[in-house]
Amino acid sequence: MVEFDAIIVGAGPAGCACAYTLAKQQLKVLLIERGKFAGSKNMWGGALYGPVLGDLSPEFLKEAPIERYVKRRILSLLSEESYFSLESAVNNESPDVPQDGAIILRAKFDRWFAEKARKAGAILANGVQVEDLLWKDGSIVGVKVGKDEIHGSVVVACDGVNSILAQKAGLKAELNPVGVKQGVKEVIKLPLETIEQRFNIQGNEGIAWEFLGKCTRGLPGGGFIYTNKDSLSVGVVVQLNALLENKVKANDLLEDFKRQPVVARLIDGGTLVEYSSHLIPTYGVSSTSRLFSDRFLITGDAAGLVLGTGLILEGANFAIASGIAAAKAIVRAKETGDFSAKALSHYQRLLEDNFVLKDFKTFKKMTHVLENPRLYSTYPDLVCSLWHKIHTNDGNPRKSVRQLLKEELKGRVSWWQLARDLIHMGGSL
Amino acid sequence: MNIIVCIKQIMDPEIPTGKFKIDPEANRVIPSEGIPPVINPFDAQAIEVALRLKEANGANVTAITVGGQDVEDVVRYAISMGVDEGILVSDEAFKALNSFVTAFILSRAISRIGQYDLILCGRQAADRDAGHVGLMLGEMLNLPIITMAKAVTLSSDKFRVEHVITEGYQVYEVGMPALITISDEIGPPRRPSGWGVIAAAMGKEIPTWSAQDIGVNLSDVDIKSVRSETIRLFIPDSRRKGEVIQGNNVAEASANLMARLRADGII
Repeated sequence: MVEFDAIIVGAGPAGCACAYTLAKQQLKVLLIERGKFAGSKNMWGGALYGPVLGDLSPEFLKEAPIERYVKRRILSLLSEESYFSLESAVNNESPDVPQDGAIILRAKFDRWFAEKARKAGAILANGVQVEDLLWKDGSIVGVKVGKDEIHGSVVVACDGVNSILAQKAGLKAELNPVGVKQGVKEVIKLPLETIEQRFNIQGNEGIAWEFLGKCTRGLPGGGFIYTNKDSLSVGVVVQLNALLENKVKANDLLEDFKRQPVVARLIDGGTLVEYSSHLIPTYGVSSTSRLFSDRFLITGDAAGLVLGTGLILEGANFAIASGIAAAKAIVRAKETGDFSAKALSHYQRLLEDNFVLKDFKTFKKMTHVLENPRLYSTYPDLVCSLWHKIHTNDGNPRKSVRQLLKEELKGRVSWWQLARDLIHMGGSL
Repeated sequence: MNIIVCIKQIMDPEIPTGKFKIDPEANRVIPSEGIPPVINPFDAQAIEVALRLKEANGANVTAITVGGQDVEDVVRYAISMGVDEGILVSDEAFKALNSFVTAFILSRAISRIGQYDLILCGRQAADRDAGHVGLMLGEMLNLPIITMAKAVTLSSDKFRVEHVITEGYQVYEVGMPALITISDEIGPPRRPSGWGVIAAAMGKEIPTWSAQDIGVNLSDVDIKSVRSETIRLFIPDSRRKGEVIQGNNVAEASANLMARLRADGII
């Protein structure tokens, strides 16, 4: 009987990082992917933040299939009549600094990453669906695939947001729509020159553009546009429970979003090449979360390691970091031959010590602020309208900004409420 | 019994239509970036027949393909289904192969394998749907050929083959060695089991034979004798137009729709 040191379920960023690290340490690793190939099931297109990929190998930062680097970042508030934007840009000539964000398409990125793990010595099994954990005497000893039983010293669940394995292991309850966002995304193909022209970028420069306000009909969430090499990732991300409660379909919101004049111009003439929908676990990880048990670890989305603070929506970097940390804990366990929960708890300690769980702690309050419905309709409308009026000259004597603000607030939100929200938001930062 | 199954990779038919591109100048399909090829589904059915024969009578099954290194996964897929050996015939010189040249290369590679009792091919490749290679290969190897089989069984030392005709089938018997092409009426092929995939991924290296290994020099091949040439490759224009006929109420909208259908001469 073949027994693997580690069975990693799911060849996404977490699984590939874990498999690569273990294979490099000469461990016998099986990396199982449900899709026909790694990346084939993936919807995500966005930015990978931070230098974590370089922790695996400095070469990776150069080799990885990166579409563009985020050169400019725009946040736009949308109202019925207008939009208001904040824009920031990095001034360096070649913006290939990973901390600013590297725009990637997961379909390409994951396949590249899985290939790296395979070349390092991991056994990559594509098109295989793990249905259950394999138990013996109350202990996890592997996974079940159809009738086949596959044995391993430790199972690492990298099986994404709706992690069946984490549930089977008893570490997670069924997904609660309150802590989950739904993302729908289209990849829209456009000639490279058109993208460069419309977004005023060149070479490997790219744009991350986020939208708040009208595009989600006031539901908590937002829209986004990322520039790939010769396509755009266009989508909306909305709180799942809000969609369910209001009986709104995320794809209708995406259609709304695409009809916004500012967006419509950017995507005009493009061809739709991909449509996808995905859940994003933004419930956050707290100190009480337990990401390990006997012979079992959970990483990435499966562990809920996505930071969705509104200002930030990051997951891939945490996934990679958690995959590496899981691998380190497994290597240690292998040395002593002890794969118990106690030994594997080293994994969670590593996450607490590096940026992963620290970031979650830092932004913990932020998630509460984001529940404020005024962020998605009242305030975007207010800012757009106020800004517009400040700059409008209709021939009549102009009013002071204070006067205009007073008029704008009227019927929308009280001074007291505004002050409270601002203090709240300020405090959460 | 030694069975050889000829398999081919095709572009994944499940890719979004927007990603399907051709180069009309060169008359060729541009492989879709980032999406690996898959096994021709008709060839997977040929493998299914080989495996059924193996299960019933015992056999050694070899899958062979001609292509670039990126088709290794297709050979591994065959192994994950249960094929015993895989052979990849690959050479820089083997580019833009047509049916004739493919059959020629296969015939040489199969001659190198030497010992075989049955050669199986899918009815055709699901990309160009020509269905030439099996027939040409049988001819080159001087073998009896039965096409479009919906069942193949072994009785004593002969194959009993059900050959599909318009309304029913004919039964043939053929001795060894023979070449049979498999109809899709054989039914869906088995899916690899979990262990099958893992064992194939863990399996030994797949031998790769070059042009030299099988004694093929393409400049010796009389390309003219091929008698097949793609004259024009194009994607038919099938754009559909959508239009919402407006009206203040249903009755008015229906009237507008009728008026429009009449104006366009549809009714």
